Amino acid sequence: MSTQDRVTINKLSTGVPGLDEIVGGGLPEFSFNIIAGAPGSGKTTLAHQFVFANASTERPALYFTVLGESAIKMLRYQQQYTFFDPAKLAGAIRFINLSQVVLEKDLGAVLEEITKEVEKANPAVVVVDSFRTMVRKPQGDMDLQSFIQQLSLFLASWQATTFLIGEYAEDELRDNPIFTVADGLFWLRQTTERNSIVRKLQVIKLRGQDSVPGLHTFRITDAGVQAFSRTFGLTARKRNPPSDRRLSFGVPELNKMLDGGVREGDSVLVAGSSGTGKSVLATQFIAEGTRQGEPGIVAVFEERPEAYTERATSLGLDLETPQKEGKLTILYLRPLDLSVDETMQSILDAVQKISAKRLVIDSLAGFEMALSPGFRADFRESLYRMIFALTGIGVTILSTVEVDESFTEFPFSTYSISFLCDDILRLRYVSIDGQLRKIMVVIKMRGGNHAKDIREYEITSKGVVILGKRLTNYQSLISGIPEHSNRSRQKEQPSQDTGIEHKT
Amino acid sequence: MTTLSRMRDLAQRLLDYEAFAGNASEPGESATLRVYEKLRQGLGEFAGVAGFQSLASRALALARTEAPSLNAVRVSTDGALQGLGEIEHQFDIDKVQAGEFPAGEGGIILIARLLGLLLIFLGEALTLSLLQITWPGAALDECSSENGRKA
Repeated sequence: MSTQDRVTINKLSTGVPGLDEIVGGGLPEFSFNIIAGAPGSGKTTLAHQFVFANASTERPALYFTVLGESAIKMLRYQQQYTFFDPAKLAGAIRFINLSQVVLEKDLGAVLEEITKEVEKANPAVVVVDSFRTMVRKPQGDMDLQSFIQQLSLFLASWQATTFLIGEYAEDELRDNPIFTVADGLFWLRQTTERNSIVRKLQVIKLRGQDSVPGLHTFRITDAGVQAFSRTFGLTARKRNPPSDRRLSFGVPELNKMLDGGVREGDSVLVAGSSGTGKSVLATQFIAEGTRQGEPGIVAVFEERPEAYTERATSLGLDLETPQKEGKLTILYLRPLDLSVDETMQSILDAVQKISAKRLVIDSLAGFEMALSPGFRADFRESLYRMIFALTGIGVTILSTVEVDESFTEFPFSTYSISFLCDDILRLRYVSIDGQLRKIMVVIKMRGGNHAKDIREYEITSKGVVILGKRLTNYQSLISGIPEHSNRSRQKEQPSQDTGIEHKT
Repeated sequence: MTTLSRMRDLAQRLLDYEAFAGNASEPGESATLRVYEKLRQGLGEFAGVAGFQSLASRALALARTEAPSLNAVRVSTDGALQGLGEIEHQFDIDKVQAGEFPAGEGGIILIARLLGLLLIFLGEALTLSLLQITWPGAALDECSSENGRKA
């Protein structure tokens, strides 16, 4: 069958930010869906968002409430959400209470009542909340499976997109014939980890759609449910082909060490202990970008944007003007109870808003500490997904990370995240001639040449300034406690020409 | 204007509307009962019979503190009002005899209290949206305009 012969399935917006991406662009029209989860997991709110997003006076929504919370109380609470539009209750959305029918009659009567109302209203959306309560009542001639089967057939024929809401525990998922009937099965989970609540959503099943697998974090705010796709909404976007363009660091000698600069779309890790100038270097990188017309984002966790801007000014770097011009955004993220995906979504939103080409995360340690304890376990994995997604669309990312200064070891990163970086720049202290001096070295540069030189640098009023040529007078510089070599009395060797390493 | 007096105004408008509509279709039928029955039907649809019955019982209890004559009125298990017709008839006799007792005052208070409860639980915007399903247009116009909303 050719593509043009196939039926087109319209996709309806879920009304839940982030969920359309997760379900593959929207919910299939006329689908029969089940939203399952424990009490308080957000099932009703999610259904309401869908209803308010899709109901109209021409094709209204019928919201059947069965045994459960009082309908008046439900509306009292639900109207607190910003998506709730009271005007829609005057014709576009009808709430119909079936509790009396359930109490006095059987499922056959419930089906009859729903059928009658659907035929009368010709709805686009039908919700039964909560159908699970009907199961707990001894039934008459019709069992629940048969009820669901007939309801599904009827509502599909009447061109209604349907949600059944039910309280289910995890172990009820297996071998449940009710779930077989459904086109879509959405499972909402809520767990407590230390002092935080972690909410996750899973699309267990969705016929006819390529949904994003896995558990997606979601949050319930005054705007309702907001979901955070594991792919951050970037799956649909094409990955840019690798670029050969080099981005200047704003430090000429460092550019030379990097064979002209950082390759566009790379993820760069600047690792070093406290006070080695990681943030200074990051600031120079972002300032150089804005100077060259490349919008940038700085995500800071350890100081406020004002302080960050002021510190840049003291280094002769103007971050104020690009901020005013909308070419630079400094995000101060201290969410504490936010999920890692949610925090990363804030960064992504900022990147997309100004079409940023450079992103600085200062620092990864601060980022991790800012997260709710329950989400820290996901940190590396989420960071990997975000970096992969952003570099794929050509954003160059510079992350700083603090490493414990050891005078016997030379760790790249205590976070074991070096695998997700294309380039690693290591800054460290060394003890030379009775002074604590600083050296830098390019550890890794994927797909390019880089210098093997160990260079001394200083932090001055102009930022990081690399001094002289490579240090040839010492042995074991990276140990932090070098020894004078015999070459100290010999003529210094040329720096760049012989110091370039080619890696692919 | 207090919430209670605003709800009395709204109740009065609904009664006037139904009195006018009633005279045209079924002369002699109580306007209070017509308003109450429409509320029972409309609110019962989403709140359920039991939900409406409990709201109406609460409204009646509150209204009795203002109009003791409502002691004779009952809300049945299906939410229907019993006994209002009799006391309204008595009001009319009293009005003729004393020349000053306001006819249907107990009914207005009851309806106002019921609307007041909706206002407390659902807020003004949602209450008006729900009333608009039953009374589109004229009956709610003044109230809608006051709140910047048009029916």
